[in-house]
Amino acid sequence: MIERIAERNHGRHQRLDRVWSYKPGWGAFAAVNHTTIGLRFLVTGLIFFLVGGLLAMLIRTQLALPNQNIVSPALYNQLFTMHGTVMMFLFAIPVLEGAAMYLIPKMIGARDLVFPRLSALGYWCYLFGGLIIMSSLLLNIAPDAGWFMYTPLSSIEYSPGPGSDFWLIGITFVEISAISAGVELVVSILRTRTKGMSLNRMPVFCWYILAMAFMIIFGFPPLILGSILLELERAAGFIFFAVDGGGDPLLWQHLFWLFGHPEVYIIFLPAAGIVSTLIPVFAQRPLVGYRWIVLAIIVMGFISFGLWVHHMFTVGIPSLALAFFSVASMLVAIPTGIQIFAWLATLWSGHVKYSLPMLWIVGFLVVFVCGGFTGVMLALVPFNWQVHDTHFVVAHMHYVLVGGMMFPLVAGLYYWLPHVSGRMSSERLGRWGFWLFFIGFNLTFFIMHLTGLLGMPRRVYSYDAGLGWEWFNLISSIGGFITGIGVAVIILDIALHFRFGRKADRNPWNADTLEWATPMPVTTYNFASLPTIETRTPMWDRPDLPERIENGEFGLDEPRHDLRETWGSDAVTGELKEIVHLPANSWLPLLSASFIALMCICLLTKSYLLALPACLLAVGYLLQWSWHNGAHPIAAPFYDDEPYSPPLHSRTCDGPGRWGMIITMMANGTLYASLLFGWFYLWTAGPSWQAPDDGPISFWPLLASGGLLTICVLLYRQLVARLGRGESNGLERGLWLACLIGLVHFATLLWVLLAAPLQPTMSAHDSVLTVMLMYLLLHSGLAVILTGLQAVRVRIRYVGARAPYEPFVLRPFWSYTLGVFWISFAAFILLPMGWGGG
Amino acid sequence: MTFERLKPGHPAHLVLGLVIWSVWFVLLYGGLSVACELAPPGAEQGALNWLNATLLVLGVFFFVMLLAGAYMSWRHAPSAESDQPQQRFLGRVAAAVYLFAAIASLAIAVPSLVMPPCL
Repeated sequence: MIERIAERNHGRHQRLDRVWSYKPGWGAFAAVNHTTIGLRFLVTGLIFFLVGGLLAMLIRTQLALPNQNIVSPALYNQLFTMHGTVMMFLFAIPVLEGAAMYLIPKMIGARDLVFPRLSALGYWCYLFGGLIIMSSLLLNIAPDAGWFMYTPLSSIEYSPGPGSDFWLIGITFVEISAISAGVELVVSILRTRTKGMSLNRMPVFCWYILAMAFMIIFGFPPLILGSILLELERAAGFIFFAVDGGGDPLLWQHLFWLFGHPEVYIIFLPAAGIVSTLIPVFAQRPLVGYRWIVLAIIVMGFISFGLWVHHMFTVGIPSLALAFFSVASMLVAIPTGIQIFAWLATLWSGHVKYSLPMLWIVGFLVVFVCGGFTGVMLALVPFNWQVHDTHFVVAHMHYVLVGGMMFPLVAGLYYWLPHVSGRMSSERLGRWGFWLFFIGFNLTFFIMHLTGLLGMPRRVYSYDAGLGWEWFNLISSIGGFITGIGVAVIILDIALHFRFGRKADRNPWNADTLEWATPMPVTTYNFASLPTIETRTPMWDRPDLPERIENGEFGLDEPRHDLRETWGSDAVTGELKEIVHLPANSWLPLLSASFIALMCICLLTKSYLLALPACLLAVGYLLQWSWHNGAHPIAAPFYDDEPYSPPLHSRTCDGPGRWGMIITMMANGTLYASLLFGWFYLWTAGPSWQAPDDGPISFWPLLASGGLLTICVLLYRQLVARLGRGESNGLERGLWLACLIGLVHFATLLWVLLAAPLQPTMSAHDSVLTVMLMYLLLHSGLAVILTGLQAVRVRIRYVGARAPYEPFVLRPFWSYTLGVFWISFAAFILLPMGWGGG
Repeated sequence: MTFERLKPGHPAHLVLGLVIWSVWFVLLYGGLSVACELAPPGAEQGALNWLNATLLVLGVFFFVMLLAGAYMSWRHAPSAESDQPQQRFLGRVAAAVYLFAAIASLAIAVPSLVMPPCL
């Protein structure tokens, strides 16, 4: 009997593995599976961490003694700029995204993330963007204006070399990866949880990642816009941040910190999610205050957006406005405190086992609480003024970021290592690594608080003897090297464990979450059948769950028609809604990312004629990607034995793609809102803002263009509404008509842009208007192309009454395009006309 | 989205309180900046001027509105004995979010009591 079950399970494993495994050899580059992509993010991020760490060692070597000349001032500027850039953009965020990508589907009982090709595109964009930025270091032309690229220091006047361009283009490229991960994670968590996993039964880690993903959606676009504007200023002579012509360098600071402060929490939240996951496991009791923690996560996600000006306390903003941000900065201590007390209460009421991951969690609690205290000190405006731009701020930042992110990350690394490798690491070597890192870190940065209080400024390459900073700097440098040795020991431990580590038992920590119900090392498809969840701690309440999953006792236990399938469920209740069929291995993400990378390189080398074909090829591959969807033979062609309850997602009107589009439009809307903010900011606060009496844009043609767009969108929405009722006759004709009207609207808008006497190189006013018109054109043009493709797909029967999904995905894009057009018309045309002076 | 669909227990209430707080925060900071640009009260008036008074009144308005949201969410959350743990979860968390948003809305307006607006 047992042998027969084992044989049946083995057969199921082989059938599932054939559908889910990636191609051999070079085919590995076409992999899109979340386990593979998540691990690639993690490994790549850790390599970048080593590079960033090496740069830190160079900085500490230079500062160890006074009056040293080991590195030149120019190189030192590159070192600290690249250290911050690498650690923040190429290590912290991508590594946590990678961990989330690896873990989330396994925790929610899914087989993959909901948009696997997007995961792969994100990874390649991250890798290529990172390599572009790193190449500048090798060429000795790295950015040197600080990781926050303040203007005017980063502007063409004071940074004429290509360093700033590498930063702006490379980071924007990397941010495509972050946004794609954000969209992917939000939709996956909300729409692909397994049967019965309602919001209140969701693992707490998923709440953290959901908040982080939303914060990426709303936090990154201001910096993407800022980077585009600064690059336009540097490369094309537009004016946004230069005072001559109506710009304002402070606009950059606002855009940067609108991203920069939430980013601290984007890094902290997933790390806190690791803490909230591990503490109950090592205390062997459920987390105390689950609801309180969820409250704290939501509050933190919002309040952290209201703190950006606390990085700008010294720039001359009225003191009452500073007080608003000071209060908001203190308010954020409340959700942090809630979490810390919940963690302590869980530890207090449990039987804590101080295994290696738990040691790192204790380290986190100590270091992060210290960082939090100095954070409250810095939220006080007078104290902030006193220590502004000193090493005190550097020390605080490292306590928060290393304490809040690095300690939990290493804890998580040790905790989930057996899940990846099937082996346990060395407890003894691991403890050595911890203590070396902990002691070294505190030696470096605790002392650095004192150096800062004694007045040592940041970003100086050397200092004179006799200022009282010598011993403190020497101790910090020694501490830095001890930290480095600690990192080396940890790496050695992890490397050795793959070969010498003891084979791990299944669920070696006796954890409560679903990822431990998968085989170890994990299979390509995660679960042989997708389990039904009845409680928040499934592995504690149903210890036989792994066996039952493997025996195929739950849903989707057999692959049908070689489709990769997972459940699609209701966002709140977790009730099943559809079967989501997922794309298999594809070269399209790699090809698309390669041509985007080529375009970036062409822009960097100012080979604009080559950048255009690279851009067109990238767009072409992305459109091909969109073509391989729905009922396309590569995706899910119509079968006679198709499931109807629940149906395949491409046969519904509300599949994950629509959710993905809406979330993407949230990010897009934030970018647009940042542009609006820039417009109003320069208008009201720009020191030399000037606007012509008569606006340069033709009023009536623009109005006519808007009228055409409105008709087009109304028509499209009507067609989609009919399709939702199952009426597809005349759909193709209607789509072509919408396409035609959209095209006329586009042509009119293009004429408005070309006919307007805009001089973007002469005034910030015209620069903003030009960007606004190009933004509208981009959206209208893309909507027209995508609608045309839909019309063709209707003709060849990939879309229709039986597969109505795709027009529903496109509808929010058209609605968004219409919305931003009229908002732009009101804000950029009507308001200045009424006010007189826009 | 109709108001009917936004009745207590809807998951949107998990964030609505803080969305309102965000709107108030932007209004507070943006409004202060624009007012100081267009019609700054005299420095000699200190904190006793039309701008600070407006900000305080608005702060109290948002506080009361969000407090009402907290009360509604709390009242409509099913009791612990009910067989709707999911609705209870949504209601209780939403009530706490509204309460926090109410306190935060008032807290950020409090400096207007003592500080001149445009210096």
